[in-house]
Amino acid sequence: MQVVKIDYVGAAYALFALVLAWDYLAPRLRLARFKRDRVLRSRRDQARRDAAGNRP
Amino acid sequence: MNPSVAIAASPAPGPSLGSAARAQLERDLRLVWRRRGDALQPLLFALMVVALFPLALGNEATVLARVAPGVVWVAVLLAGLLTLDNLFRGDLEDGSLEQLLLSPVPLAWLVAQRILVHWLVSSLPLLLLTPLLAEFLQLPRALLGPLMLSLALGTPLLSLVGAVVAALTVGIRRSGMLLAVLALPLFLPVLVFGAGAVVAAGQGLPWLGAIYLLAAGLAALIVLAPLAAATALRIALT
Amino acid sequence: MNRLILWFNQTGSPPNFDRFAARWTPWAFAIALVSLAIGLYGALFEVPADYKQGESFRILYIHVPAAWMSLFIFVVMAAQAIIALVWRIKLCEILAMACAPIGAAFTLITLASGSIWGKPTWGTWWTWDPRLTSELVLLFLYLGVIGLYNAIEDRRAAARAAAFLAVIGLVNVPIVHFAVNWWNTLHQGETIRLIGPSKMDPSMMWPLLATALGTKAWFVGSLLQRARVMNLEQETGKAWVGQAMGDASRED
Repeated sequence: MQVVKIDYVGAAYALFALVLAWDYLAPRLRLARFKRDRVLRSRRDQARRDAAGNRP
Repeated sequence: MNPSVAIAASPAPGPSLGSAARAQLERDLRLVWRRRGDALQPLLFALMVVALFPLALGNEATVLARVAPGVVWVAVLLAGLLTLDNLFRGDLEDGSLEQLLLSPVPLAWLVAQRILVHWLVSSLPLLLLTPLLAEFLQLPRALLGPLMLSLALGTPLLSLVGAVVAALTVGIRRSGMLLAVLALPLFLPVLVFGAGAVVAAGQGLPWLGAIYLLAAGLAALIVLAPLAAATALRIALT
Repeated sequence: MNRLILWFNQTGSPPNFDRFAARWTPWAFAIALVSLAIGLYGALFEVPADYKQGESFRILYIHVPAAWMSLFIFVVMAAQAIIALVWRIKLCEILAMACAPIGAAFTLITLASGSIWGKPTWGTWWTWDPRLTSELVLLFLYLGVIGLYNAIEDRRAAARAAAFLAVIGLVNVPIVHFAVNWWNTLHQGETIRLIGPSKMDPSMMWPLLATALGTKAWFVGSLLQRARVMNLEQETGKAWVGQAMGDASRED
C-alpha cells in the first residue's frame, strides 16, 4: 500500500514538472520562430530588391 | 443683429425611454414574426433532446424520473444557447447595429428590450412546453411546480448572461461554437441552483433557498447584464 | 510616488519593456527554481509522513501552491484587464493576455494533482462538489479568455474583448475560495490562513512556504517571458525591434 501511494506522489510531481516545462518552453519556441520569421522575411525582401534591381 | 434672438436654440430632446423601448420592441417582435417558423426551432430542439434520454437510458420510469429535472433543464438551456447567436448578428450584417450604438437613448436600455424579446420568443414557449417535456420523462407531478418556478427564474438569467457573451463575440465570423464555449461556464451556476432546487425538492430537502438565490441573481442581472452587454458591444465593434 | 509613476511610464514603453523583461526573466526563474527545489526536497524527504494519509499527503506541496496561483493569477489578469480597458495601455493588454496560459497551467496542475491525491484519500478521482466544480469552471474561463483572444484578428481589439471576459469571470474567484465555507463539501476546509494562526504544524509548513514563493517567482518569470514575445510580435514593424533583435533580420 505504501509503495502504491508513493507512485501517486510521483505522478503528481511529474505532472507538475511537465506542465511547468511546457510553460517555460512554449514562449521560447515562439520567440525562436519570431526571429526566424524575421530572417526569412528579410531574405525574401532582399531577393525581391535584387530581382527588381536586375530588371532593365 | 437683433440681440433678442436666441444665439443657440437648445437641441431637440431625444426620444423618451418609453417610446424608444416601444419602438425597439415593436421592431424586434415584427422581425421575429416575419420569420415565425424559426421561432419554433428551439421548441423542436428541446423536444428532441428530451426524447434522446429515454432512448439512451432505457424506458424505466424510476430512472427517467430521477434524471427528469436535470434533463429538462439541460434541454431548455441548450435550446436557449443555440438562439443566442442571432441576438445581434442580423443587425450587425445590415448595419443597424452601428446605428444603435449612435442612438441618443442609452444603449443598455435598447439591449434590455432586445433581451426581453429573446426571452419572450425562445424561452417563454419552452416554459409553456415544460409540462409536456416533464411528462415525457415521467417527472413526478409534485415536482412540476418547483421545475416551472426554477425555469421561470433561470431562463431570463440565461438570456441575460448569454446576451453579454453574444455581444462580446458579435463581430467574430462563425462564432457559434465559441459563443457556446464561453457562455457555458457562466451558465453553470444557474444550472446548478436551478436544477438543484428541483432535485432537492424531490428528495424532500429545503429547496427555496436556491430559488431565492436565482431570484436575487435575476434582480442583479436585470440591471447589470444590459449594461455589460452594451459595453461589450462597444468593445467588440470599435 | 512620482518616481514610481515615472518608472511605470518608462517601463511601459515597448522598447523599454523588452529590455526590462529580457533582463529580469532569468532572475525570476532562478529564484523560482531554487525555491521550488528547496520546497520540494523538503516535501519529499524532510517532512514526516502524515499519520492519517501517509505519503500521499506530500502532494499538498504541489496542489496548494498551484491552487493559490490559479486564483491569484486570475485576479492579476483581471486587474491588468481593467487597466487595459479603462486606460487602453497596450502593455497592460499584453500582460493580461499573457497571464491566461500561465493561469490555465496552474489550474490544470491544481485539478490534476487534486484528482491524483483524491484517489487514495477519498477513493475517487473526481467528485462534483462545489470547490472542484468551481475550480473546473475557472479552467474553462481561462481557456475561454485564450480562445476569444485567438478568435479575433486585430490584436488590440482581441485583447480588449478577452479582457472584458476576464473581468466578468472574476466573479468565479470568490466562489472558488469560499466554496468550502458556503457548502458542505468533500474538500477540506481552510487550514492555512494569511492572517492569524494556521492549523498546520510548523514542521510541515516550511516547504509549503518555499513552494508558494517558488510558484510566485515562476509566474513573474513566465509572465515577463511571454509578454516580451507578444510585445515583439506586435511591434515587429518598428525600428527598435530590428535593433533589439541585433539586426538578425538584415544580412549584409
